[in-house]
Amino acid sequence: MASESTTVTDSMSRRRRAFDWLSESLWTVVVGSLLVIAGGTLVQVSNGAFSTTPVEAWQALVNPDVIFNLQSWQAFLLGGELPEMNRQSLIVWNMRLPRVIVAVLVGMNLAVSGAIFQAVTRNELASPFILGVSSGAGLMILLVLVVFSGATLVIPYVVGSLRLGISSLLPIIAALGGIGAFVLVYAIAWKNGTSPVRLVLAGVIVGTVFQSLQTGLFFFANDIGVVQSAIAWTTGSLTGVEWEEVRMALPWTIPVLVLSVISARQLNVLLLGERTASSLGMNVERMRFALSAVAVVAAAASIAVAGIVGFVGLIVPHMVRNIVGSDYRRLVIGCLFAGPALMVAADVGARLGLMVLAGSSEQMPVGIVTGLLGGPYFLYLMRKQDTMGEI
Amino acid sequence: MPGKTPGPDGGVSQVITEPASRENGETPADGAQTDDGHADSETGGSDFRGEDLVVGYPSSEQPVIDGASISVAPGEVTALVGPNGSGKSTLLKGLADQLALESGVVRLDGADIHDMETKELARKLGLLSQENVAPDSITVETLVEHGRYPHRDFFDGLTDEDRTAIDRAIELAGVDHLRDREVGQLSGGQKQLVWIAMVLAQETDVLLLDEPTTFLDLHHQLEVMEIVRALRDDSDMTVVVVLHDIQQAARHADRMVALKDGKIRARGTPEEVITEQLLAEVFEIDAAVERTPRGPRIEPLRPRHEADSDGET
Repeated sequence: MASESTTVTDSMSRRRRAFDWLSESLWTVVVGSLLVIAGGTLVQVSNGAFSTTPVEAWQALVNPDVIFNLQSWQAFLLGGELPEMNRQSLIVWNMRLPRVIVAVLVGMNLAVSGAIFQAVTRNELASPFILGVSSGAGLMILLVLVVFSGATLVIPYVVGSLRLGISSLLPIIAALGGIGAFVLVYAIAWKNGTSPVRLVLAGVIVGTVFQSLQTGLFFFANDIGVVQSAIAWTTGSLTGVEWEEVRMALPWTIPVLVLSVISARQLNVLLLGERTASSLGMNVERMRFALSAVAVVAAAASIAVAGIVGFVGLIVPHMVRNIVGSDYRRLVIGCLFAGPALMVAADVGARLGLMVLAGSSEQMPVGIVTGLLGGPYFLYLMRKQDTMGEI
Repeated sequence: MPGKTPGPDGGVSQVITEPASRENGETPADGAQTDDGHADSETGGSDFRGEDLVVGYPSSEQPVIDGASISVAPGEVTALVGPNGSGKSTLLKGLADQLALESGVVRLDGADIHDMETKELARKLGLLSQENVAPDSITVETLVEHGRYPHRDFFDGLTDEDRTAIDRAIELAGVDHLRDREVGQLSGGQKQLVWIAMVLAQETDVLLLDEPTTFLDLHHQLEVMEIVRALRDDSDMTVVVVLHDIQQAARHADRMVALKDGKIRARGTPEEVITEQLLAEVFEIDAAVERTPRGPRIEPLRPRHEADSDGET
């Protein structure tokens, strides 16, 4: 045995090994993603109806009066009064930057959510929407827009009552619809416990029925505006997002990120299969549900601000896995950077694509761009790899 | 830890080939097997036993194991043998609490294992399943590291104790030279040794192995059995191993338990269990058994058919 010689270097190599998993390939992903995000941000903040050069936009962005002003952050993150600032900074900070930040948050949530679902189902082709989340959210969106569009919700309040148009609650209702569908999928799949295959099948069942109902509801939409709005929601769009959306997504994103990073080891053990995980003392059923719940909250948070953006949650974990391997300690962190990179880049395409191609000032839903990127990427993978589907 | 079992003479060893089974192959579901007088349980290793186990799968009505009792001598290697479908793997899963028992109880040092917290059980009892999957790109060392799962809390990093256990497991399994290789690049035999290293990193008192040698080449089969023997000799581990190859079991195990149709047909030392009569009854083969200093040697001759058993006794 070759073990005698190792004892000398043991204590040294041990220390080294503790952080071994922070590999070079992971740094590549992180740095590359940051560059893409920075580039995308610069493009996004310098383009728009009020034209600015990239230099002006950059100056407006790094304006110390905004960055080092507590009041401006209060306004952005808590929704207070905006302080005085010059016009360019106002446009960049208040109108263009939120869209980039929301793209970053959505990208993080979707990528991590997809990565978790791929481990939970032990299937590389799983996406955040595999357990019915998108169809549940989509159905609720259609119901609200088509059937209950005029309804108002009256919430009794301390003094008088709070009247809310139901459309203003759309993001929350959509997210709740997604979570509801997930619970339904779990209930259908449960029979003395679940299994990855049963979960996926139940997701297909619920997805198919909800999708049909959703498509059926389009027939009752009598206004093209409603249809367009419904399409924007169900394909995912970042048009017109503001700090309001940042404030909506951030409180969910932070715990999701923390939980996903610290559960990386649990995900790694789940990848060894249920039997091994269970004989190692993991309560597989409980862990699977908890991790799925984290992933669903992440997906729901992104749906609430951007609608149902497809493919990001599917391809980002895939791309990252190809580079850093399937160790979830690396994969999750890689996803936290690559997800935003893809989302920011796709949103540049969604916002400026038609302008470049057709000279039109119209914007596409970002979900269309991610789909256009995602399909060919999978084609490329399919031709290159023999073993798709296995992690 | 107290010394090893004083001798192989404890009450466990007598053969209890149920007399009924000789006549018609049907054992009356019985409590007769619980009677191993287990006087010597206060010795080294862990006392591990299953009492009146009925184990089945949720998908089928009929239990696979129907009333088996097994008590494993501490610090010894016990082999479960039997033909395909005899329930040996099922029994092992029942013993490891991986399949819910329909009735009966498994005790580890007197405590019902079903009442134990899952991680607590995994610190005392290790199970290596027959087929294992790992992502191809995981390194050997990382895989073995997962064996420390039951010793770590949700937030814990690797302690020095964990690292020592990992190093020791890797060394015991003889895979030090593979340490930084990716699991996907290894041969079947190397993979199996790595998986054994993982389950050794759990540092349990009892180790259950489900057909660890099936599909391996002879070299790796012997490697695995050598590890098993070293565990018993050096670490005083209690090992239960399902073996497909009865010759291998006869050669390497201290005790054997022969199953057929979910019932235990014989138990004892290899010399006691391996008889021509048992091979005919349980394995349905005609075979010549030769006593050698290295245990009984089996020479399989021909399969027996139902017609054969009618004419002979």
